[in-house]
Amino acid sequence: MAREIYGGVDIGSLSSEAVLLAADGIVAYSVMNTGANPQKAARKCLEEALEKAGMETTAISAVVATGYGRIRVPFAAKEITEITCHARGAHFLFPGTRTVIDIGGQDSKVITLDDRGRVTDFIMNDKCAAGTGRFLEVMAAVLETDLEEMGPRSLKARKGVPISSMCTVFAESEVISLIAEGYPCEEIMRGLHEAISRRIFRMAKRLRVRKEITFSGGVAKNRGIGETIQALFGQRMNIPQEPQITGALGAALCARDLVRK
Amino acid sequence: MTRWLAHSQITYLGLRPVLDLLFRKDESPAFRIWVRFLLDITRRACAGKQPVIWMNAFAPTEIVYGLRAVPVMPEIIASLVAYLGWSRRPIALADSEISTDLCSFYRCALGLVLEDYLPRPDLILSSSHLCDGANKFFHSLSEIYGCPHLMLDPPYTRNPHGHRYMVSQIKDLVVTACEILGVPLDLGHFASVLTLSNEARKYMAKVNVLRRCKPSPLPGRDGLSYVAGMNFSSLGSRWGSRFYQSLYHHVRGKVARGQGYLQREKRRLLWLHHIRPYYRNEIFQILDEHHVAVSFEEPNFLYWSYLEPSEPWESLAGKILSNVWAGPLERRVEAIRKMAEAYGIDGAIHFSHWGCRQACGGAGIIADDLKEKGIPCAVLPGDGADSDNYSPGQTRTRLEALVEMLE
Repeated sequence: MAREIYGGVDIGSLSSEAVLLAADGIVAYSVMNTGANPQKAARKCLEEALEKAGMETTAISAVVATGYGRIRVPFAAKEITEITCHARGAHFLFPGTRTVIDIGGQDSKVITLDDRGRVTDFIMNDKCAAGTGRFLEVMAAVLETDLEEMGPRSLKARKGVPISSMCTVFAESEVISLIAEGYPCEEIMRGLHEAISRRIFRMAKRLRVRKEITFSGGVAKNRGIGETIQALFGQRMNIPQEPQITGALGAALCARDLVRK
Repeated sequence: MTRWLAHSQITYLGLRPVLDLLFRKDESPAFRIWVRFLLDITRRACAGKQPVIWMNAFAPTEIVYGLRAVPVMPEIIASLVAYLGWSRRPIALADSEISTDLCSFYRCALGLVLEDYLPRPDLILSSSHLCDGANKFFHSLSEIYGCPHLMLDPPYTRNPHGHRYMVSQIKDLVVTACEILGVPLDLGHFASVLTLSNEARKYMAKVNVLRRCKPSPLPGRDGLSYVAGMNFSSLGSRWGSRFYQSLYHHVRGKVARGQGYLQREKRRLLWLHHIRPYYRNEIFQILDEHHVAVSFEEPNFLYWSYLEPSEPWESLAGKILSNVWAGPLERRVEAIRKMAEAYGIDGAIHFSHWGCRQACGGAGIIADDLKEKGIPCAVLPGDGADSDNYSPGQTRTRLEALVEMLE
């Protein structure tokens, strides 16, 4: 009997991810920039994952699409929101998860779930993308550093410089002023991470946050934010090895449910 | 030219056969009555034969009809303008005068005022309950038009002292309005107006009972547009009683045939807050795609009792004070619980219109209360009139996540 493979693609505003799932776990995954064409990104991302796994498209039993570009994935059997998919993915990786904090490219969410991984409540940022991946990208450019470097460098700072503005444009000006005033970049980075953490903490306060908390999404790769957010919540959080693929993993799990139904 | 057309009663006379023809196939006769009602009051407001009273949506229209005046409601006009896709220009114009944090319905209306598209008022009447911006907005308009502004100030609490206070305010307001407009105080006419209002109320109650049936006979998008619009603007007029009578027969027919507005209704939602986005958007289309019906809406909740025609001031004071959205939030929570139970609700959407402080402020508490009863509630932030504040992707995600929670 052929091995059943399920595909999940998460087409986000900045990055796209694909996960191939089998009965024994993740077979392969890929992460790439979405670019201007979500449809193309979805196809390319899935093809890359298939290539890594040494498989053909025909090996996949079903694909579920999630993320803001989910409605533009023609080969998907179903579209499911990233809220449900992040909950499923986080619950699969850490079955004790009851709250998911997901900070993506342009939005952030707090999701609560039950013991079966089903969403019980959620809250999203509205109107602007303050405190998300895009915000960090802009700040990294202003600080003339790689995005990946921000986390480790911020951990070297003993304290963060308070950042009062969360609007990407205003925060950019604020950071430029702080650099001009001579503050070390590491302290500014830590200040930015603290500001993002405060924002998500305030959002989470509007829901009934329960242990365990899993931190997912591309921003969770930043160890600096991981530290500040856990300090603010006053508890350790589950951070997946590859937090960026949690949504795509959840989508693959939903694809598995579809086939098994 | 467009300004002249907007002020000419000939426009509205000419539009009637055109719109009758355009909407001849619309399945709801009540919708056609609404269209004719709008044309009729706008024509009369332009004709100059009756006094024109501008008022906010929450002040009782029975007062205006009792004074034999024509009501003009800027918020309702703004929602129509948004529906027609024309709100960007007036909003942009108003944004140069007032803060963009204010309600977009008022900003849209102000833009229309600044461009002189609306029939001019002889008197402005507003009530402070529910909408915290109303009195200030209408006072500004009275300065622009140089006409008197009369105000009702309902008390926060509901008790005999508050009722007496409200009665005296209404009485004073009507007497002052009669003096300003130079019309006699005709208590007999006020009694007829209240009788017409009761007639409309009777059918409204019947419609609301029929809407408990499954599948949902009346689309929520209609409940939030012309049905709610008539609730705000027609009570006390012949149009109002005709409208609700017609709506009742229409809904009754659908219920008798077991005909829902969706092909296959899977879930039933309650829409919280008085408004929805009126410009082009996908909200109801998304819900339809998922076979999720908006079965009932908060603005159509019947909160007041029979109005005694021989006691107009006492009755209208009672109506205002029994408004569940005024005063402590517990009243609204209690009403929502009743609606959720009566309409067999599976989930709720609280549309939090930016600029609407009293609605947004209570959204979290209301959502928590519903969740405690096992009813998921999505708070949908947005804007009712300003399409620039609409985010299609985020709206779709929120709605579909709610739908997934219901599955």
